[in-house]
Amino acid sequence: MTASVGAGRHRAGAGFLTSPGMRLVGKRLLLAVPIVLGVSILTFWVLNLIPGSAAQQLLGPEATPEQVRALELELGLDRPAVLRYLDWLGGAVTGDLGQSLVSRQPVTDLLGERLAVSGELAALAFLISLGLAVPTALLAAYRPNRLFDRLSMVVSITGLSVANYVLALLLVLIFAVQMAVFPAIGFVPLSQGPGANLQSMALPAVAIAFPLYCFYTRFLRGDLVDQLQGEDYVTTARAKGIGPWQVLVRHAFRNSAFGLITVVGLNLGTLIGGTVIVEQIFALPGMGQLMLQAINTRDFVVVQACVVVFAVAAVLANLLADLLYAVLDPRIRYGSR
Amino acid sequence: MAVVDAGPALVEHAETPTARTRGRVGSLGLVLPAAVVALIALACFVGPLVLPVPPPIGGSVLESYLPAFSPGHLLGTDPNGNDILSRILSGGRSSLIVAVAVNLLGLLVGGTLGALSGFVGGVADTVIMRVLDVLIAFPSLVLTLAVAQSLGPSQTNTILALAFFSIPAFARISRAATLRLRELPFMASAVLCGTPGWRILLRHVAPNIAPQLITFGMLGMGIVIVIEGALSFLGLGIPPPAPSWGNMISQGQQSISATPMLVVWPSAVLFVTVLAFNLLGENLRARWSGR
Repeated sequence: MTASVGAGRHRAGAGFLTSPGMRLVGKRLLLAVPIVLGVSILTFWVLNLIPGSAAQQLLGPEATPEQVRALELELGLDRPAVLRYLDWLGGAVTGDLGQSLVSRQPVTDLLGERLAVSGELAALAFLISLGLAVPTALLAAYRPNRLFDRLSMVVSITGLSVANYVLALLLVLIFAVQMAVFPAIGFVPLSQGPGANLQSMALPAVAIAFPLYCFYTRFLRGDLVDQLQGEDYVTTARAKGIGPWQVLVRHAFRNSAFGLITVVGLNLGTLIGGTVIVEQIFALPGMGQLMLQAINTRDFVVVQACVVVFAVAAVLANLLADLLYAVLDPRIRYGSR
Repeated sequence: MAVVDAGPALVEHAETPTARTRGRVGSLGLVLPAAVVALIALACFVGPLVLPVPPPIGGSVLESYLPAFSPGHLLGTDPNGNDILSRILSGGRSSLIVAVAVNLLGLLVGGTLGALSGFVGGVADTVIMRVLDVLIAFPSLVLTLAVAQSLGPSQTNTILALAFFSIPAFARISRAATLRLRELPFMASAVLCGTPGWRILLRHVAPNIAPQLITFGMLGMGIVIVIEGALSFLGLGIPPPAPSWGNMISQGQQSISATPMLVVWPSAVLFVTVLAFNLLGENLRARWSGR
């Protein structure tokens, strides 16, 4: 369990860049490189196992083997996989993710708009879930095992058991079919007004946010109650005559925040990859949709780019959590494990 | 959390099982979800054999879209005239088979890898954990999509693809539990007695990490059922016309405004099953951690 940390604060200033915290981040960053590299190799290898090439898919089933062969040559698909991977890697390092085999557009152009949609969805879901989870957990932990606490626990275990596609369809059924207050499918870009944009994003964002909200609430509430019951600094604070809310928010929550940050960091990475099904249900032109389409057309250059973007997002989110951790906690142990 | 260092041996020891001190509420919390799980499993595996339900496929189009409580069709029929109750039961059978197989594979392979990694330590540990990190960062959907596209969607391929992702999760938990065990006196004495490594793993480590792995397995059942549903929903899991909860929901989505019940029935069963497994896992964890 979390060690008691007191309500200390890191003194920002001299030597922060050379501080053990930054060394930790540097180390994690170095460790992240082989992970992203491994993911890209694995993807390349797995995609090579899939029968049927983009050339076959582009020309249709009636194409002669000669035609397919010619197009494969033109697209460079005849070269050995290792060479193609190294070429790709060389480009990727300089920010060039290649050209789509199907639309011949640069992949970075394709990714740009899609990433904005998925990013907005993930950001909204993140804000909704965390914004509601913190107050709920605080209220629940204020009086453990009382009515509000029990209710919120029932809600969260229920919410954790709902598959997000089920929740998405339920939301469509209630708010789009029955009440007709939100559109069932479709995306309105931000350029057509933030109101319409938010309206098209509301249901998908809630479908993603609700299970997260339940998870964060449960986690934070459990940690808060542990802090309040077992920690000496809480006893000290109470003995000083500090009110229960102050103890909860200023002392216990500060410590529980560390665990929450770690969990959120782990979650945020999967969040951007987890939007695939919800994007599919609401027909949002995001990363998930792009990837599914690309897999169906054997446009492996695009699939490869999507996977790497997901992996980088996961690694960055974890790194951000580590960084926050190091900034917030002055006494982090910097050892391994 | 991440900041544990000081004297784990004593602290961990204080948290050993206190099952007997649990009250009746604790046992009810275990018995109720276990009963629900057993009931669902019984209904899915034995139900179609003893209940008077029509076969899940090959219905007549003349009987399509019958409402619930129609004669012979308790929950009505789908667009192809197939009995919904019958499809839910046999869909549940494939969901449960996939979930059990995936979690067993994860528990055995991942559990062994993690225990080995934590017990041996050193370079082997680093290598195993790095490889697993790559697997965890790799989007599961891509691999399952790739497997489904190259080998064709089928129950076996779904199991293999999903097991690929349950293994790292089990391995992490098993490794963390083994690392905590390593500090305890009985492990040191086993080593001092000259007990061979494999024997320590089998006789001392395995029984001690089993509760944590089994608890995670219960939560894993819920997770796998949901993911299997998602794959089938995208048309990459159990291939139609064979039913699965996921492909039933997906099929129902197409006519959600006209016949919402086609979505509601399989969703409800999916929800209750996952909820029961989650409650079982949560209550097992509460009992075993003595909280």
